[in-house]
Amino acid sequence: MRPRLLVKKSASDGRNGQTVTDENDIKGEGPAPPGDASGTPQPRPAPAPEKSAAPKTPPPAPPAAPKPAAPAAPASPPAAAPKANPLTAPVPSAALDKIREKFSDQVIEVTYYASEVTVKLKQERAEEIWRFLRDDPGLRFDYLSNVTAVHWPERPKPFEVVYHLFSISTRQRLNLKLDAGEGEQPPTASRVWPTANWHEREVFDLFGIRFHGHPDMTRILMTDEWVGHPLRKDYPLEGKPEDHIQLRDVTTAEHVYTYDKSSIKGFGWKKEVEKTGEGRG
Amino acid sequence: MFRTEEMDINMGPQHPSTHGVLRLILNLDGEEIADVRPVIGYLHRGVEKLSEHRTYAMIEPLTDRLDYVAAISENLGYCGAVEKLMGLQIPPRAQYIRVILAELQRIASHLLWLGTHALDLGAMTVFFYTFRERELILDLFEQFCGARLTYNSMRIGGLYEDVPAGWTDRVRHFITIFPSREKEYEDLLTVNRIWLGRTQGVGILSAEDAIALGTSGPTLRGSGVDYDVRKAQPYSSYDQFDFDVPVGTKGDTYDRYRIRMEEMRQSCRIIRQALDRLPEGEVRAKVPKYIKPPAGEVYHVVESPRGEQGFYIVHKGGEMPYRMRFRSPSFVNLQALPTMCRGRLIADVVAIIG
Repeated sequence: MRPRLLVKKSASDGRNGQTVTDENDIKGEGPAPPGDASGTPQPRPAPAPEKSAAPKTPPPAPPAAPKPAAPAAPASPPAAAPKANPLTAPVPSAALDKIREKFSDQVIEVTYYASEVTVKLKQERAEEIWRFLRDDPGLRFDYLSNVTAVHWPERPKPFEVVYHLFSISTRQRLNLKLDAGEGEQPPTASRVWPTANWHEREVFDLFGIRFHGHPDMTRILMTDEWVGHPLRKDYPLEGKPEDHIQLRDVTTAEHVYTYDKSSIKGFGWKKEVEKTGEGRG
Repeated sequence: MFRTEEMDINMGPQHPSTHGVLRLILNLDGEEIADVRPVIGYLHRGVEKLSEHRTYAMIEPLTDRLDYVAAISENLGYCGAVEKLMGLQIPPRAQYIRVILAELQRIASHLLWLGTHALDLGAMTVFFYTFRERELILDLFEQFCGARLTYNSMRIGGLYEDVPAGWTDRVRHFITIFPSREKEYEDLLTVNRIWLGRTQGVGILSAEDAIALGTSGPTLRGSGVDYDVRKAQPYSSYDQFDFDVPVGTKGDTYDRYRIRMEEMRQSCRIIRQALDRLPEGEVRAKVPKYIKPPAGEVYHVVESPRGEQGFYIVHKGGEMPYRMRFRSPSFVNLQALPTMCRGRLIADVVAIIG
């Protein structure tokens, strides 16, 4: 398991620049006709903004920087830099530069994998950053492709909400992440991109993350009566239905039914009174 | 005195026009639709959870079932995502055969759509014509991999095996006869007055709404947005083929119909180019027997017949993904249904779903 290359805001040095040129070289000398098998196009605009040197440099300024290193690079990756994994090499991203420029204190962590840029943000100004990414004339991330979550039970904040953005005009992709603790309510993205409405309902349904300000925070795939959130890592995978399946009466939100094989009345569902007061959850 | 009040009525979960199980709660004002609330999840099978406990090779058969009328597109996207995670290069011959298969699948899927869509709107003849041609494609798939619906035809790193002898000639035969067959459907529908009356101006979706609601595929392009993953972010050597992306003007059901018809022609173009330039060589890259990608996460998208199909894999080591997410285009496209239906009649809902 290789460690992921994490680049914090100011933790930049020459090595990052070096890996960028390495990666360019690997791509350049590869056979052209077969195309990129992984389906990742190289980012087109603004060749290599050296994010390490100064975050505020406009993208087109230093295109000459990687060039001098290029001739020497082909020999170096196997020998000099065994850790330079081309998959985790940093790639230039105009969006990341702009986020760093305007919201430098909001970026927690930046990850690169297979030419994808993933930025983990703090929750406080997330909606502001989303609006900026959507409306900025140079970025225009107007298309929210996907929203999902990942459950990491061992972390202090166990949930990661992941947003996959795409810009139809500039053909760029950008992944954003927010951390969410148990019971914490991250802001809804549905005010910025209406498509997030159903995605967030699905995340709520399968992970139990409620989104603050969401217009309709109800289950979407499971029935409204379902108790539990199946995509959590602690959701039981084995056992008989009566061991863990429960249904909640959504009209009163006070009764929880468990399955009892011996009971014929009510199709085997046995009522147990439980004061939750939560409803629909 | 007459009373006027809005009424809720259920359409589905079992309704002949939904082709599957979809429940729509229609909020009616007379016969006009005031609002629609789609209720989904009847076919939720927990594939994402299942994938967390299977090795990468074992997940591929599951992806067949994501969309059982366009299984090859799902196979292609899934294999592409894992290959991206592993940093694999696929042999050019395998890439070209994948493109041929995916485009045949697109035609087959569009044919199924066209037949059932026309059937729902009362044009029964088209259904028999389209299934005649779809059968030819299914025969080609059967000759290639032995299955007719859930193919499991690709492998991580390429294909299971090369195409059988004579298969390319049969594909060439199909794309030679197909344009004249497509003209038969067009003769039945494109200038048919009933068809025009049922589809033109129905279910209009503006370009802004289409983008904001995250729709993709023919639904998005029907609204005039030029976004096709094959062009925008080419995968599996789609950048080496010459084809056009049809774009609509009004965003109504008729535009979406025209776009799918044109896409079938463009698919034929792509298949012809791929057959002409089909490279020789291996069809599978060197892949270890036990696939253990490095830790990382990727989001890979492909253009399935229905739109942008995304695959998000989080891998933290070992043989199984830590988290697998399938972004299905229909789930998102369905979210635009209320916008398209408002102010229309109940009968139009059938045309809009199609």
